[in-house]
Amino acid sequence: MAKHYILFPNYSQGLKLESLLKQKDIKYVISPTPRQLSSSCGISIMYNKEDENAIKNIIIGSSVKINGFFTID
Amino acid sequence: MGDYKKMWQDLNMDIEKHDILCAALPEQFGDIYLTQKNRPDAMNYFNYVVAEIHGARIMELEKYKKEGGSVVGTFCVFVPDEVILATKAIGVGLCSGSQFWIEDGEKVLPRNICPLVKAFAGAKIGLTCPYFQSCDMIVGETTCDAKKKAWEIMDEYMPVHVMELPQMKREKNIKEWEDEIKIFINRMEELTGNKVTVESLKKGIDVCNRKRRALKRLYDLRKNIPSPISGLDALLVSQVAFSDDPERFIEKTEELCDELEERVKELKPNGKKRIMVTGTPMALPNWKLHSIVEGLNAEIVVEETCTGTRYFENEVSIEGDTIDELVRNMAERYMDINCACFTPNEGRTEDIVKYAEEYNIDGVIYYNLSFCHTYAIEYEKIEKVLKEKDIPLLKIETDYSEEDTGQIKTRVEAFLEMI
Repeated sequence: MAKHYILFPNYSQGLKLESLLKQKDIKYVISPTPRQLSSSCGISIMYNKEDENAIKNIIIGSSVKINGFFTID
Repeated sequence: MGDYKKMWQDLNMDIEKHDILCAALPEQFGDIYLTQKNRPDAMNYFNYVVAEIHGARIMELEKYKKEGGSVVGTFCVFVPDEVILATKAIGVGLCSGSQFWIEDGEKVLPRNICPLVKAFAGAKIGLTCPYFQSCDMIVGETTCDAKKKAWEIMDEYMPVHVMELPQMKREKNIKEWEDEIKIFINRMEELTGNKVTVESLKKGIDVCNRKRRALKRLYDLRKNIPSPISGLDALLVSQVAFSDDPERFIEKTEELCDELEERVKELKPNGKKRIMVTGTPMALPNWKLHSIVEGLNAEIVVEETCTGTRYFENEVSIEGDTIDELVRNMAERYMDINCACFTPNEGRTEDIVKYAEEYNIDGVIYYNLSFCHTYAIEYEKIEKVLKEKDIPLLKIETDYSEEDTGQIKTRVEAFLEMI
């Protein structure tokens, strides 16, 4: 099953987005960043595909910096 | 996701070797933890801690040191965190729970000693644990022969302070432990340049007691049928307790408990067998037994271990107006921990029987790290008492390797069918 991740330049950006997702009641899971996506250690956020547009809108309207949206099949 | 290579380089780590560990963690954690269904939302914080275990937390330690603070590493629930906090230092549990560190550990230690001791030695000498590299000093104790002698080897690599833990529980032994705590206070004052005062010690005691209370609240919630949290998740919370910032840990654990309290209102019995694990500690990332047991039709609802009840049971009394009185209170609390290093150690049997009733246990798994003699010998006593009480018991002796996973699974499966 495909899994969807958001990656960040550092953990504080991840935590920033986390608190926004919490506010908007969007389900997410904090996860160690899969090796296939990056060799840097640290957090990423796993999300449900159906929430992707809502999350993108949240990010656009915020100061959160991300490295991008990724999918692993 | 941060790039921590520069920080690790500055900590004089073996970046290439450490990367093997970093590469394995996401998959291991993903397979064991993130495949669990219906996890509490508040576990996201603990996912964060694991994902950032060698990153964000180390950054915090390094920042604290730059501001003039000290960091000390510990391995055992007997080391009084109250003193560390009273001298404004940060205490962290050190790396000791992975097979990854065993090979390096065996370069300086015999193969036939406990994996936990081999792992911590390997983590230090292989330069693959940033916690070790951040520490100004490590604090050891004399809870077993392997550790006791390993400190001499560790001392060649970094400053070590060893606390001599008495092995009996007579009044004279409690006094001896009081002395050891006082010696530790002196050493911490020298290291940090901060004097312990009645006020600072009371503050340290208060933080530690609140942390114990938060963990106790979590464990009490597991008494529900079914437990509102998996054994795996509860174990993770206990493991994180050893290295996280205490105030933040308390806040996040209380948040988790609030969520679990809501959950129990909705939950209905699930027919899973309720298991107690008793025995030796499970340091991060040792999730081996829990993942095997909970992969079957069972849930672990209590750990009578140092990464379980022994860490949080009983509080230190805050009554007293002098350092001597507070040290006495601490000595009494710590000497009340029922570790197999004591002879006799009847309190542990009483605890297990009490928990079996309180947590409504269907069966007990005696978890013994290979070559941990005190626990291996104590099995006999526990077995006898549990037999009298008609409580099923299974002994699993194992290390950190995956070689015997299949065999353990078969034995646990048969055990669950029998109870």
